[in-house]
Amino acid sequence: MNDPKPSATEIRGFLHLDSYLRKKHGTMPVILHLLEPLTGIELAKKLEIRLHEVEVIFVNGFVQDLDTVIQPGDRVAFLPPGCPGPYRVALGFYGKNQKNASNFKLSK
Amino acid sequence: MNKFIRVNMSSGEIEIQAVPNQYIGLGGRALTSSFVNDEVKPTCHPLGKNNKLIFAPGLLSGTSAPNSGRLSVGAKSPLTGTIKECNTGGVFSQQMAKMGIKALVIEGMPEDDKFYVIKVSMDNVAIEEAPVEILGGCGNYDAIAFLTEKHGKNVGIAIVGPAGEHRLPSANISFKDPEGNIRSAGRGGLGAVMGSKKVKAVILDDTGAGTVPIAEPEKFRAAAKVFANALLSHPVSGQGLAAYGTDVLVNILNEAGGLPSYNFTQGRIDHNDIISGETMNATITERGGDGKVSHGCHRGCIIKCSQWYPDKQGKYITSGFEYETIWALGADAGIKNLDLIAYADRAMDDIGVDSIEVSVAVATAMEGGLLPWGDGEAALDAIKQIAVPTPLGRILGGGCAVVGKVCGLYRTPVVKDQAIPAYDPRSVKGIGLTYATTPMGADHTAGYCVSGNILKVGGDLDPLKKDGQIEYARSMQIGTAAVDSTGMCLFVYFGIADSPEGYQALIDMINAQYGLSLTSGDVDKLGESVLKVERDFNKRAGFTNAHDRLPEFFEYEALPPHNQVWDFTPEEIDEVYNF
Repeated sequence: MNDPKPSATEIRGFLHLDSYLRKKHGTMPVILHLLEPLTGIELAKKLEIRLHEVEVIFVNGFVQDLDTVIQPGDRVAFLPPGCPGPYRVALGFYGKNQKNASNFKLSK
Repeated sequence: MNKFIRVNMSSGEIEIQAVPNQYIGLGGRALTSSFVNDEVKPTCHPLGKNNKLIFAPGLLSGTSAPNSGRLSVGAKSPLTGTIKECNTGGVFSQQMAKMGIKALVIEGMPEDDKFYVIKVSMDNVAIEEAPVEILGGCGNYDAIAFLTEKHGKNVGIAIVGPAGEHRLPSANISFKDPEGNIRSAGRGGLGAVMGSKKVKAVILDDTGAGTVPIAEPEKFRAAAKVFANALLSHPVSGQGLAAYGTDVLVNILNEAGGLPSYNFTQGRIDHNDIISGETMNATITERGGDGKVSHGCHRGCIIKCSQWYPDKQGKYITSGFEYETIWALGADAGIKNLDLIAYADRAMDDIGVDSIEVSVAVATAMEGGLLPWGDGEAALDAIKQIAVPTPLGRILGGGCAVVGKVCGLYRTPVVKDQAIPAYDPRSVKGIGLTYATTPMGADHTAGYCVSGNILKVGGDLDPLKKDGQIEYARSMQIGTAAVDSTGMCLFVYFGIADSPEGYQALIDMINAQYGLSLTSGDVDKLGESVLKVERDFNKRAGFTNAHDRLPEFFEYEALPPHNQVWDFTPEEIDEVYNF
């Protein structure tokens, strides 16, 4: 993996989004040179990832909502529903997925 | 299930009793842990005559309930010195239940030096000398094939490999799966206990067995349907696990900075693509042949998180190729070759050792200079030496704590001498509390389930902060202890956590089978009581709260990329068991 330039945004997809992004962009991670900040929703649309296929995103190693603002140079990953075990709880997905289409419609 | 079988290896006596009153309502872990606490002298040597080994199917095992074919095995652990419950798939649990066997206990030890096979059929239990063909270094794959040929293709088999014969602390008990491959009651060295009693294998012949009685069949069928739907309609159990197995966690933990690497000095690697579940899926699909991306470890499994991983020619190498093993060899030991990791996994199954304990021991041995970092060939060769065993094989087979001591290391990732698995407690703090406090020694599966609405205990968790983690670790351990008693695979939790009706259906199935009217509150009480029984045994064995601690290095070595340390105080850790 080459070192991206500071403004280059590294984007990964997990589970089926891994093969989807590889097929579409030929590499993993996908590198985009963003000119300005954008939200996870806007980035997903730019990559033609359907929103209901994303439970949470990682931004620089932190679990975040889909509408979190991503800065040029950030490291981003899209995670579909499908993370097993108690890790969806332990890694904090439930606190971040409530506004998403894939929040499993639970309420407190 | 009305038979309670005791096999005394000191006297050769076999007793088939009615189930003692105090165990009638128990199954799985609740039964094995209660029995060990009742009958095993807590201060006994785990490899001496006073330890006892118990096999017990869960409350729902043998029924048509999806994913209910798990078996619990209990004893005092030679690895940790604590009480131990080990859980496995395979065909053994369902066969025991259909044969009406609530528990099989092996006690005592023979004075001679021969190995034996215990054969259990519907009308007889016999102790026979073990065939020489399966002794003296014979691997589990060949031994299972030999015993299947000798006793019939449908028999259930529990067996110890060469590691168990040599009573090494990482020895597991292997179980034949539906295709004659291997599932394992892996952690804590119970294979050494079985080996110490000179039992090479237990054969179950269920010819003539009936079906498990159900008090209210219609209610049972209705609940089972709701339960199955909850599992299959959930993206985790219905899609994620079936396609990518548990190894899907490599990329996720790596991204979260919680993938312990190079003996717990980093939380993220650059070569995650080589060992990820996504890569495993693509490799199996591309190679074809024997390869299967999805496979169930027991009949009635509808999640199918296992797989058959083939070589480049499409020939089967291994199955049940789990995230924790791949993490330990791929990230913690830095081996950048999934095929070599698969061959190591097969070797560990064949020798009969816990693939978490030994793989973490390999990484620790690399830090200690016994093996070169990242050298998969050297690691595979060293693992195979456990079967002999050479001195290096004995050290690795002794487990991670032994390797750390032999190499003079302070950075030895164990709790109660059991290796810490694949989730770094500095970056995933709730898991760290479970590692510290579970009666089993470091065990990720000890905190897997919670009853009721998950959001109440985990809705606001931040993995890097302490808030809410004590309640999370407590609830998860209680829920897990209960589910471990049902015979259910813990992975059903993925489906029912987000489906309150699925969780209720699990309780409804138990009620329909036994004619009970349990509530979720009763299930929580069962979980609490199991943990209290286990803590009581450990206390009488000499364990105190001071043993419920992570290794000190976690407190002062910050883990990149989040540069977190373990910052729970002893008082906070002790709160987990304040119930």
